Amino acid sequence: MIRLIHNELLKIIGKWRSSIGFILIGVLMPLILWGFAKGGESFQREHLGQMSDSFVVVGSIVNGFLATYVVMNFLWVHVPFLIMLVSGDIVASEGQSGTFRIYLTRSVSRLKIIIAKWLTTLVYIFALLVFSSIMSLGLGALWLGVGDLVVFHEGLLILPWDMAFWRFTLAFWLVLGAMFTVSTLCFMFSSMVNNGIGPIIGGMAFLIIGLAVANIPLTFFETISPYLFTSYLDVWKKAFFDPIPWGEIGFDLTVLMGHLLIFLMITIRHFSKKDILT
Amino acid sequence: MISPILDIQNLSKSFGSLKAVNQLSFQVNEGDVFGFLGPNGAGKSTTIRMMLNLIRPDVGDIFIAGQSVSKKQNKALTHIGALVEEPDFYKHLSAKKNLEMLARMENVDLKRVDEVLEWVGLDDRAEDKVKAYSHGMKQRLGIAQALLKSPKLLVLDEPTSGLDPKRMKQIRDLILDLKDQGITIFLSSHLLHEVELVCTSVAIVNHGRLKKIGSLHDLMDDGRGVSLSITVNDAEAAIGVLSERNDIRDLTLSKQEILLWTNNDSLADINRVLVENNISVTRFLPRTSLEEYYLSVISEDEI
Repeated sequence: MIRLIHNELLKIIGKWRSSIGFILIGVLMPLILWGFAKGGESFQREHLGQMSDSFVVVGSIVNGFLATYVVMNFLWVHVPFLIMLVSGDIVASEGQSGTFRIYLTRSVSRLKIIIAKWLTTLVYIFALLVFSSIMSLGLGALWLGVGDLVVFHEGLLILPWDMAFWRFTLAFWLVLGAMFTVSTLCFMFSSMVNNGIGPIIGGMAFLIIGLAVANIPLTFFETISPYLFTSYLDVWKKAFFDPIPWGEIGFDLTVLMGHLLIFLMITIRHFSKKDILT
Repeated sequence: MISPILDIQNLSKSFGSLKAVNQLSFQVNEGDVFGFLGPNGAGKSTTIRMMLNLIRPDVGDIFIAGQSVSKKQNKALTHIGALVEEPDFYKHLSAKKNLEMLARMENVDLKRVDEVLEWVGLDDRAEDKVKAYSHGMKQRLGIAQALLKSPKLLVLDEPTSGLDPKRMKQIRDLILDLKDQGITIFLSSHLLHEVELVCTSVAIVNHGRLKKIGSLHDLMDDGRGVSLSITVNDAEAAIGVLSERNDIRDLTLSKQEILLWTNNDSLADINRVLVENNISVTRFLPRTSLEEYYLSVISEDEI
């Protein structure tokens, strides 16, 4: 299996589209951090202005942790699109280019090959999120320093810096779980067609509709929202609640992992029986 | 007793209402160079893809070295190397990286990669990315990947497609070399002259069904006689003379060329009769080519 994953990594590393996510985050994060460094005071005035009667703020709330938290709130809906560029392409592009004619005629089962491809997308996602963490939390800490984290959730919550760090660690793993599920959905689409663009567009469409249903406050949407996995993708936010709602997190993760397994099973079944005609 | 390296049993495959392969059964013996012939859409590629587990048959099974492709895919595919149609590779990787990747899948020693690249004459371009390769180079790389694991059965689907005459000859020589090494070759090609030069036995399929199978020698000498092409100074007089003979069939005149079928024993006599009737024979060409035979078999379906 390691050899197959090695092969899959070789295949995706050389592709331009695999670098897009890294390039985008590599450019965007320093830009946002630079914005915080330059406009931190106005940010603090704007967000704490109404509470100045109740609180006395000593020093600045703007630091690497806050910048990372703000960036996460902004980017969590966009990162799935970057991931889909790889997970939507990894199977379909081989059908499109005809390379399955040499790759699937080896004495290796299709089950192993599809699992290796899926694991490779997970490795890619892990690498992208680690890179994002380094570029936001790591670079933010170096540039803006560290300190207490101010979170706006049902009022104002101040997390001491040592607690904030491990909350970010928990959030990282929760984001990872959510992204794995999104990626597996797109991967499933990828196994069904022979065109790398279709699964990416299909995955994006599914995500946009799902997020719209989860966030638009209409009664009908609220009825169906609990049945869509997209309603649980923001589970990472709960890592910053106080106290941490472990029960809710466990439920959300169960829903996400359940969907992931269903998508994966469908993929395996479909790919194992698929006729390679290209 | 020679054992079959390939045993196709009652194979059928449909795509919607189209029956691409219809109850196909035949065997290929170890050490053969086997030609697999048929017009476009005859079911050749579908059969080859089923041999390689790229397509699942609706009915029937294929056994390679005694192993079922549908039930013991990995064991069956261990013995087979294949070039299916025009080979496609990972274009952003070098030829060597492509082959190393394939070798890694099946635990093939990476030294073998250099060997096969040298064999097909790509050793000096091994580090170039495949996207810079010409069609002929990709074709040779396709043969290299098929040879990577030293297969018992080598399936070549149009291996000389798009190659220049020099490279075509090299591929033919390579096939004969591989035969000498005991590798069974399964060759699908539209170039019947090429098949005639290298194959020991052939199968002809049409509309998904097996039409003929046997050794090349037996098929060409199955009592149908010989096709003869004659050019003379007075074609109409020649037609008059020849039409009186009862050992001649399918006598036709095409432009100034007389075409007919006769027996091997009658050739000398036909020539003598024409000369005795003061008809100058400028060309007398017996044709027992595979092409003639193939066309006659395929045309049976069109009648």
